[in-house]
Amino acid sequence: MIAPLFAADVASQSPSWVASHAQQIQIALGALLAALALWLILPRASQRGRILGGVLGIVSLGLFAAQFPRLGDWLDDSMFVVLATLTVLAAAAAMTFRNPVYCAIWFALALLGTAGLFFFQGAQFLGVATVVVYAGAILVTFLFVLMLANPKGEAYYDRVSWEAWISAPAAAVMVAVLTVSLSQNVAAAPPAPQSQADLDRNILAPQHMAHLGKHLFSEYLIAVEVAGTLLLVGLVGAVAIVAADKELPGRAGATPASFTTDLGESGAGGRHA
Amino acid sequence: MMRLFLEATIKIAILIGGLMTAAAYLVLLERRVAAWVQDRRGPNRVGIPLTKISLFGLGQPLADGLKFIFKEEYTPAHVDRWLYTLAPLSILAAALATFAVIPFGSVIPPIGEGGPIPLVVAPGVDVGMVYVFALSSMAVYGVILGGWASNNKYSFLGGLRSSAQLIAYEIPLSLGILGVVLASGSLRLDTIIDQQAATGVWNILVQPLGFVVFMIAAFAESARLPFDLPEAEQELIGGYHTEYSGMRLLLYLIAEFLHMVTAAFLIAILFLGGWHLWGLTGSGDEITLFTAVLRIVVLTVKVLATIFFMMMVRWSWPRFRFDQLMSLAWKVMLPLGLVNLVAMAFVVEYRQWFAGTGTWAAVALGWVVLIGSSVGMALLAPLSSDNRPRSASEGAARQQIFS
Repeated sequence: MIAPLFAADVASQSPSWVASHAQQIQIALGALLAALALWLILPRASQRGRILGGVLGIVSLGLFAAQFPRLGDWLDDSMFVVLATLTVLAAAAAMTFRNPVYCAIWFALALLGTAGLFFFQGAQFLGVATVVVYAGAILVTFLFVLMLANPKGEAYYDRVSWEAWISAPAAAVMVAVLTVSLSQNVAAAPPAPQSQADLDRNILAPQHMAHLGKHLFSEYLIAVEVAGTLLLVGLVGAVAIVAADKELPGRAGATPASFTTDLGESGAGGRHA
Repeated sequence: MMRLFLEATIKIAILIGGLMTAAAYLVLLERRVAAWVQDRRGPNRVGIPLTKISLFGLGQPLADGLKFIFKEEYTPAHVDRWLYTLAPLSILAAALATFAVIPFGSVIPPIGEGGPIPLVVAPGVDVGMVYVFALSSMAVYGVILGGWASNNKYSFLGGLRSSAQLIAYEIPLSLGILGVVLASGSLRLDTIIDQQAATGVWNILVQPLGFVVFMIAAFAESARLPFDLPEAEQELIGGYHTEYSGMRLLLYLIAEFLHMVTAAFLIAILFLGGWHLWGLTGSGDEITLFTAVLRIVVLTVKVLATIFFMMMVRWSWPRFRFDQLMSLAWKVMLPLGLVNLVAMAFVVEYRQWFAGTGTWAAVALGWVVLIGSSVGMALLAPLSSDNRPRSASEGAARQQIFS
């Protein structure tokens, strides 16, 4: 159905070359537009062209989305479209806003959309883990730091994205490659009607978590242990840094000196509170 | 499909209606309990409007609600307008969405064709407990965004305190839950209740230490006194909602009460046997309508008793200092939670010893662990309430820092 992107017969310039390569042209055009759109909407020195960038971005997304087959009934389709649109728009907003706090909030929304997509696919644990780990812990820590630091970002270099002319084409190429590989896989192997037993065992298992845990701690035990060790190393490192920094005589639990002075300087009310 | 949709809609309607009413009347209950503790009368005048009938002040929540609705929706000029509005919305949405996986009863007998109808909005969620965690961690956003968007030092400090506190206490909270999950082998709240009902042994009997750890962490997560540092009135005026008024303040207050209700539900379900009561409710799904109602009543009574306990605690203990709060989380609750987890792992691993009459041995072990670890913790005494400098050099060092 879909020919490989860099087919060998490009040289044989038949009259209907455009018609026979509509897929490739669409993807290439989409990638080009996406790169341009990303460059336009990323925070640069000037505000000009952001609306044009948004329009181009939507067009390129449409070009990419046209490569994918429909899912099935209208309910599935509309659920997917709503969640995916939410995720993509929130991700775009997370990149383009200038205020870092707003970026973090949009990123949280993108994560929620991703979690929704996971739920939609039946991957319950991945969905809630995304929310717990990323939105609940990591991003809250980000926000904490952002709010303690100068949140306005007055300096010029805080308000623009660096190397936008590299990152925008890179992102566009990545999206294009993913689209090609995914759409080819979907087209090459349409989801076989799995047997109910397979479905029960793999996805619809009533003991979803127990199932997952059994796999994690039998087949992937070493990976789990290595990840755990890595986290432990990080934890020990953090404690070591804090312990080395602490010159305050007395017991643990007292406010470290640096924390107090930081608060005072950033005007968040250390001294008068 | 249509039936599922209809069932879910009806359950959501019942739940949201019930929760909103409950939140309103919990305010009244809290004020009456406070008055009772402090030997006052409390709000007892408002009854049926336009008459002189005062039904023990039962009209008070309606009057309060009307007052909030008709108050001016004032947005201070110095706030970040979007986030200022978003914060209370997000905290209330997260607080309400938590109840999707919390069962508010057992099942009701089948209506028409199909099996018994489980009394939980999303019955098939196998990650129930983690879902509750996910949404309770989303509640942090409402608090820190509200604190930051208000552009006010006191609000900001409240937000920062809150995020530190909630993140710190999520660890003992999950350690307290892990013991229960280990015992029942599932993260589904209905399965956890079923397991307790089938064996007749509530989790509080076998793992009282886990109960204590979980309950203290749940108090901290719902920011109730003695853990209400985020909004400490005497220090921060009102913490993160200092700048809020009108409906947006009401959203915050409802969300706070909903957090309390969630905590009470979780305590009742995880440790107090949910809808189970010995000799009264039985176990299993094959029940009559009468038993179904009985189970709902039992669960509700347990939840209300827990809420009443939380209110009594509020008027009985002073607030922690922030370093004490953190020490409690990291130096007391974390080790105690680990001890409980190890004890439960022992019980589960050698479950053939604890079958039948051996259950008494498990119960005895649990209480020995509780008393032993509490005594050990008290002897170690990592919590020091005395913050005076211990030596002249320490005093001088502090003087340098704080001057």
